[in-house]
Amino acid sequence: MTYKLKLMPAAAVTLALLTGPALAQDKVLTIAGSGGAVKDATEQIFLPAFTEATGWSTKFVAAESNIMLEVETMLKAGNMLYDAMEVSASAYPTGVQNGFLAPIDYALLDPDNTLPEAAKKEFGVVAAAYSTVLVQRLDKNPEGRKMESWADFWDLETFPGPRSLKRQPQYTLEFALLADGVAKDEIYEVLGTDEGLDRAFAKLDEIKDSIPVWWTSGAQSVQLLSDGEVFYSTTYNGRVNKLQESGIPVEIMWNGGALHTSYVGIPKGAPNYEMAHEWIRVRTMRPELEAEYVKFLPYPNFAPGLFDTMTEEQAAQMPTFKANADAQFVADEEFWAANIDRIQERFDEWLLF
Amino acid sequence: MRVMQTSRMLAVYFWAMVVYLIFPILIVLPVSFSDNELLRFPPTAFSLRWYQSYFNDPVWVDATLISFRVAVVSMVISTTAGTLAALAINAAPKRLAGPLTYGATLPIVIPHIFIALGVFILAIRSGLTDNEMMLALAHAAVAMPFVVLITSAAIRQIDPTIARAARVLGAGPLRAFRVATLPPLIPAIVAAAIFAFFVSFDELIIAQFLMKGSETLPMRIWADLRLDFNPTVAAVSTLLIVVTSLAMGVAETLRRRAARTLAP
Amino acid sequence: MKRISLIWLLLPAVLLLAAFIVMPTFDLIRASIFDPDFTFKHFQRLVERGVYIDVMWRTVRVSLIVAVICTIVGYPVAMFINLQPKKRQVALLFLILIPMWMSVLIRTFAWIVVLGREGLINDLMIGLGMTDGPVQMLYTSGTVITAMVQIMLPIQIITCYSAMTEIDLDLMRAARVLGARRWQALTRVYLPLSYDGTLTGLVIVFMMSMGFFITPALLGGRQDMMIANLIEFQVQHLNWSFAAAIGIVLLVLTVSMILLLRWTGRFAFRRLLNVGR
Repeated sequence: MTYKLKLMPAAAVTLALLTGPALAQDKVLTIAGSGGAVKDATEQIFLPAFTEATGWSTKFVAAESNIMLEVETMLKAGNMLYDAMEVSASAYPTGVQNGFLAPIDYALLDPDNTLPEAAKKEFGVVAAAYSTVLVQRLDKNPEGRKMESWADFWDLETFPGPRSLKRQPQYTLEFALLADGVAKDEIYEVLGTDEGLDRAFAKLDEIKDSIPVWWTSGAQSVQLLSDGEVFYSTTYNGRVNKLQESGIPVEIMWNGGALHTSYVGIPKGAPNYEMAHEWIRVRTMRPELEAEYVKFLPYPNFAPGLFDTMTEEQAAQMPTFKANADAQFVADEEFWAANIDRIQERFDEWLLF
Repeated sequence: MRVMQTSRMLAVYFWAMVVYLIFPILIVLPVSFSDNELLRFPPTAFSLRWYQSYFNDPVWVDATLISFRVAVVSMVISTTAGTLAALAINAAPKRLAGPLTYGATLPIVIPHIFIALGVFILAIRSGLTDNEMMLALAHAAVAMPFVVLITSAAIRQIDPTIARAARVLGAGPLRAFRVATLPPLIPAIVAAAIFAFFVSFDELIIAQFLMKGSETLPMRIWADLRLDFNPTVAAVSTLLIVVTSLAMGVAETLRRRAARTLAP
Repeated sequence: MKRISLIWLLLPAVLLLAAFIVMPTFDLIRASIFDPDFTFKHFQRLVERGVYIDVMWRTVRVSLIVAVICTIVGYPVAMFINLQPKKRQVALLFLILIPMWMSVLIRTFAWIVVLGREGLINDLMIGLGMTDGPVQMLYTSGTVITAMVQIMLPIQIITCYSAMTEIDLDLMRAARVLGARRWQALTRVYLPLSYDGTLTGLVIVFMMSMGFFITPALLGGRQDMMIANLIEFQVQHLNWSFAAAIGIVLLVLTVSMILLLRWTGRFAFRRLLNVGR
């Protein structure tokens, strides 16, 4: 047992010798966030603006779904590599409960109090709002009809054809309850009881056989709609315009969609806590930059005056556009953080048996 | 000259299997020249935009080069260490050979996420995150069991009397190894090396944890999973096949030329 | 003397495994089993909830089917290559390796193009009037297996082939000259000499399949869950202890499956020899 403890640093030293010393770099802010399209847009728009504003250079790390796990590991190892990080909607409560995040210093970030209350959380500032919405292929709908509510999604007679939902209970069970007539503001209350849970699963039973495939990544749901594998599917609102540009007649149903917000936060032990606030300012409080960003990805934040920069048509595509936001319900990430283990197990069992 | 008459049926079967294996090219190739934003088949119009977007984006190009470098280094390390271990295991007393083989194959049965996290801790402690050598070593550890398994199978089939004969006839242990034991093992070692290369080249999870800043090819490809697949992935796959086929063709030509000049 | 040189040969491998596999994961797993004291509660949950055992069983079954199909389908391919003139062999092997350069993601897409509702086969069948509406071929276990075999087959072929190269084909010829039928020459001479490598390929494909989750997630139906998915979920939700418990059971299961495979492989092989007699 003891030799292992002795070997660990020895192995580390050997490795350091083998691989050369790590370069110590000053004045670099390390930011973790999603890769792919999000990274491309961030690198084009926000990172240069940050460098211009502060003189610091940046390092953007593409960290996917394992980001909280990485933070936990870095905290345990006592070496925090990230200065600032994207915190997804579902990761936020996990981060808060486990004490992974440092509180935001609003006196430092926003002394003039220009950010709306909705944008300010204790451990993060809203970086993006996005929705899980139903998208329908208009060309597959029966003549003159289109889905207008979750009850329509459950209506297999009027709207026959394959459907898809995400292979997880979050933002799936909610839709089942809405279809079953539960009011938007009572969803989580009902879902919190055993009878409510039974009710949601019983409702899902009705369409179980019309769902050939349960999607697991955003790209997959887009592809399913694009290939005509399913006619109706939930998806993130981010790529619906790309589907339309590709000549696929799809339309978002905002009614009963789930509205999420993701954040930019600072992990505990971040080496450049104050400079991270500068990054948050660039990322969340500069409407002219955000206006560029939402042209790539319709995931707006609460930068003051953002909607003034947009045309009416553009604004109507945003999940936080008033009419759209009013039609949706706000996803309760805290409910899911507290209940996901239990409900996921039941959900998996429901899928299997 | 044919060593043995292969039946026509076997040949037909072989080519049918080749079609099954490589048919995706028939779809990937046209899609890579599409001008559509999404992966759509058949493509509606011809364009080179996805090749442009690949070559204009340093992240894509770097990712390809990093993956190649890491895979080659990892291949050399795991093939060397694995082959030596296989030789030792097969020379060891019988009762030790079994446990040793299973010990060596341990990494395959441990879910990669555990290995990834463990190696990540090691990297943080030694300050070696975002280090290609570190990733190559981790990949080598993951690939080594396959090398051990494949070369062991070949070693067991070789007639040990040949090496013994060489020793009896006066060859030193190294020479006996080089002349008698090694040559028949070459195909298995090459197979194991190919294997090790692809284990590293396709590995995603460990790379995601270790690489903080630069990206490997699988990381770049899978990053798009959250939003959409675009035809760049098709362009990359096509490029890899074309480049490796060309390299293979050049190597073959050179070999033939060398064989001709060397021949008396 | 001999012992010492054996140890030297093993050293690089042992160092590599110790530094990158055993030490890092040992700490992790130990921390999970002692939570903080030794506990069985995670294993209890594993057994009590049907989902985990069921998914494990499904994973084993799919992996086993894939491995067996790869072996049966791949063996003749490897044999064909081995019977070609040496120069052609390299080119043919290269051909077999081509799919490995294509991302699994894009290969999945290719399957959707071929087998999808609006895919090539359905278009053809509807065009020929063989069926009225599209036939659902995707999102079934059959598709998952077909696609996984396509991914694993090159591995099996290369492993089989590497075990065949040392077979002295004169032995086959001798057997034929002495009056053996082609089938007999194959089962009595060729098969015994390539048996070890073939079984190794089967075990490798089986083990690799156990860790698969991408293809089943993209091409499978609701029941095509793999144990790797469940582990990933638990890890992402920071349920380390439980994830480790699943990992340990999986490890025990995989190792015993491999032992079983080796044993039945040897048994089946002997039977085959006797039939040839």
